[in-house]
Amino acid sequence: MAVQMGALQGKYQELIEAAKSAGVNNLQVREQDNVLYIDGEAATGQIKDNLWSIYNKIDPDFRAGDLIMNINVSAMAPGAKATVTTQSSNLNIRKGPGTDQPIVGKAEHMSTVTLISKTSDQWWLVRSEQGEEGYAYAQYLSVQ
Amino acid sequence: MLKTNLKITGFAIIMSTGMYFTSCKSKPKETETKVENTTVETPQTTTAPVEIASDDALTTGVKDATKDYPGVKADVDNGEVTLTGEIERSKLQTLMMTLNTLKPKKINNLLTIK
Repeated sequence: MAVQMGALQGKYQELIEAAKSAGVNNLQVREQDNVLYIDGEAATGQIKDNLWSIYNKIDPDFRAGDLIMNINVSAMAPGAKATVTTQSSNLNIRKGPGTDQPIVGKAEHMSTVTLISKTSDQWWLVRSEQGEEGYAYAQYLSVQ
Repeated sequence: MLKTNLKITGFAIIMSTGMYFTSCKSKPKETETKVENTTVETPQTTTAPVEIASDDALTTGVKDATKDYPGVKADVDNGEVTLTGEIERSKLQTLMMTLNTLKPKKINNLLTIK
């Protein structure tokens, strides 16, 4: 069966090829209502960052609104150690997965936390070096 | 010669029909329990429709994602996230990376980049 290639797949071809050659798992490329959706699982954060650099090169400052790229990092797994990569502040550890949840502790900037379990693509249950357990925002966690 | 060809063609049609029905029969059984909204799918393709988060889930997600970006305002409407306000270019990609994990339909970036 012939695979139809939409216009957006052409525009983001370099990105799709890079994802394939980087061995992104469960790679899905779908076009729906003039938006391209790329999903998959990269082995490392570096691969994900590289794909985002290519995205930003093709669509400077992400202005076109024609791509949603959701790449998970498979190294982010229970038991793994992650560095707190906040800009400079300490990372809030919360009672539950949400910014409306009370803060139960802080993980220092550039300290190490242990990933316990994943609640969503945004929130992880973690344990700090001080042994505090709670939920942290995944954006600020980089697997070592 | 012609007869043989017809026989082969006939046989091929019967075989492919059989395969077609077999694949059709087994397909819904697998998906019946797993998928809530069963959609008509071509048996050969594995492409599922793109999952879009509800506006409620997006609103919560967007609130968490933009918490540390005081100049950024995000509105959610029918799966679309629209960003207005200001952001530094160095922070834009990080914000977009997070917003892209929320399963939005689309992101309209109207931010002024400082």
